Amino acid sequence: MRIEDIFRMSLNTILSRKLRSGLTILGIVMGVAAVIALVSIGQGLQESVNQQLSSLGGNLVLITPGSERATQGFGFAGGFGGQNSKTLTDSDLRIIKIIPGILYATGVVSGSVSLEYNSQKSESRAQGVEPGVWELVQSVDLESGRFLSKSDPNGVVIGNRVAHSLFKKEVGINSQIKINNKIFHVVGILKSTGGFIGGSGDNSVIISKTSADDINLVSSGEKDSYSTIYVKTTEGSDTETVSGYIQDRLRSNHHVSEQNQDFTINTSKTIQARVGTIIGTITLFLGGIAAISLFVGGVGIANTMFTSVMERTKEIGVLKSLGMANSDILRMILVESALLGLMGGAIGVFFGTLASSIISSIGGISPAAGPLAGRAVGTYVSLEMVLFALLFSVCVGAVSGLFPARRAANLQPVEALRYE
Amino acid sequence: MDSVISLENVGKVYRNGGVDTPALSSINLKIGKGDFASIMGPSGSGKSTLLHIIGALDKPSSGKVIIDGKEVSKLKEPEIAKLRGEKIGFVFQFFNLYPTLTALENVELPMVIAGKEKKERVKRAKELLEMVGLKEKANSFPSQLSGGQKQRVAIARALANNPLFVLADEPTGNLDSKSGKDIIDILENLNKKEGKTVVIITHDQSIASHSKHIIRIEDGRIVGGAK
Ligand SMILES: Nc1ncnc2c1ncn2[C@@H]1O[C@H](COP(=O)(O)OP(=O)(O)OP(=O)(O)O)[C@@H](O)[C@H]1O
Ligand SMILES: [Mg+2]
Repeated sequence: MRIEDIFRMSLNTILSRKLRSGLTILGIVMGVAAVIALVSIGQGLQESVNQQLSSLGGNLVLITPGSERATQGFGFAGGFGGQNSKTLTDSDLRIIKIIPGILYATGVVSGSVSLEYNSQKSESRAQGVEPGVWELVQSVDLESGRFLSKSDPNGVVIGNRVAHSLFKKEVGINSQIKINNKIFHVVGILKSTGGFIGGSGDNSVIISKTSADDINLVSSGEKDSYSTIYVKTTEGSDTETVSGYIQDRLRSNHHVSEQNQDFTINTSKTIQARVGTIIGTITLFLGGIAAISLFVGGVGIANTMFTSVMERTKEIGVLKSLGMANSDILRMILVESALLGLMGGAIGVFFGTLASSIISSIGGISPAAGPLAGRAVGTYVSLEMVLFALLFSVCVGAVSGLFPARRAANLQPVEALRYE
Repeated sequence: MDSVISLENVGKVYRNGGVDTPALSSINLKIGKGDFASIMGPSGSGKSTLLHIIGALDKPSSGKVIIDGKEVSKLKEPEIAKLRGEKIGFVFQFFNLYPTLTALENVELPMVIAGKEKKERVKRAKELLEMVGLKEKANSFPSQLSGGQKQRVAIARALANNPLFVLADEPTGNLDSKSGKDIIDILENLNKKEGKTVVIITHDQSIASHSKHIIRIEDGRIVGGAK
């Protein structure tokens, strides 16, 4: 039999039983759609994190108070973390600054503040920073205006959302905004970072450390302690080595050992590794759920395929009586089931991609806490994923068809013809 | 006379879950080229079983079946399939048309299976449908045809690869007498005008009386008429 005629016969069977074919592929459609949509969320996370991390640069060290466990693995989120133990002090910062291989070191305090603009009130986070140094360790750009300078004690640099959407009226450069009832002048507006690393959220305001003390950003007892110390290492030095020095010096300054260490050190590398692990877990979890549904879809296709071939036993007997060889019958049914799998996979990819783009267009998942706080997560459907899904569907189809096809092919023509 | 079908000492026992049903025993039979043979006998006597064995649709439990000079049991599966497709035309009591193909496509089917080219197939299928008087029903599906029409399509299909012989198992069993007569006329014409070998199972004495050769079966044995 010619191969194109085998395809024609298979297609005839599929198309002349549209309902049956539809039901057969339903499971695989839903399974593939679920896989595409769910995995696209994981891959979207991965993509955006990779972008964030590459903009961060490789020579950053973050020191935050509290042990790693106490900060639940998100210690690097500095400004957003609500650590209780304010154990990083001016004395720590001074010690760090004299370690060789360090370009800059600066401390940041942070806390929540009330904002008032154009008689409208709002809540936000504020960071008290060292003007002239903070912007050098941050990887944040300005949308307009300038960074803080030592000469304007009441200047403020505002996050992108604070400028454009927090208040009914846009906050422009030179506007006056009240922070904890004290008047500040807006000197700069940050670019939207979507940023979650380094504590420079679109929702926060940046003021000088001096003003932070003025408005009681942190309680008076904690005035000389920092929420985060940022360190940038020199070009030629090894960041991991430098972070090792920092750890040694701080331990001896705090009289602590590895067991009761009361601060956490993160480098770009450890952050990347940690975020990678978290996202890997999320992707694995989503992928696992999707794989289960794909498996169920595969069982579904196998089940309907089996019934469908059983029902056609008599027709297969007719084909045999007309001279069709076992091998051609086997081929015909395999092509049929592989085609069904392919169709299911293609429709599934379509709906999965659709679902994925809907997820990303309605703003995606915005975790309330953690490194991705407030960030809309985009989705990402990779070509590899699509090809994998299609290939998998074809294989599931073919494997499902294998057993009933062999059974049908090996029947004696009379037995097949007698089947009702 | 050359024999196109030859059975030597053929026996058939159906085995179903330990229960043996003997259906045929010691069948010796020769059917020559251009023969028109009727198989007659009471219900359950083994007529269909015999025809299935002649048509290579079933295997005998013992004995030899020689078709066109080849011993069937010595052939491999693909060769037996080829034999069925190209040397034998089968017409069933219940038509057995392929339900999702049109009349024309049904007639094409044996040629599709034999790997013939599309153009050649369609031409031959159209001629055959015309011969059985169903030219205008070429694009109808089996479900849109009457019993007599279905059986005429089935005959056209059986002839598609110009087989050595045509086997028909009670081809008129499900038809009214008028349609039945049309079918018999077609088969008789084939035999007379083209010299096609025909073997037919029938209960109809008048059909049998036209035959050159009557094979009577009782209890799985030939009781008369075999040459
Ligand atoms: N698949 C089978 N399994 C077991 N016994 C069978 C099977 N097919 C036929 N038989 C038995 O073999 C015998 C011959 O059956 P067969 O169908 O050849 O009869 P027949 O002469 O064609 O009868 P009818 O005129 O009713 O069609 C019967 O006793 C029948 O019960
Ligand atoms: Mg019978």
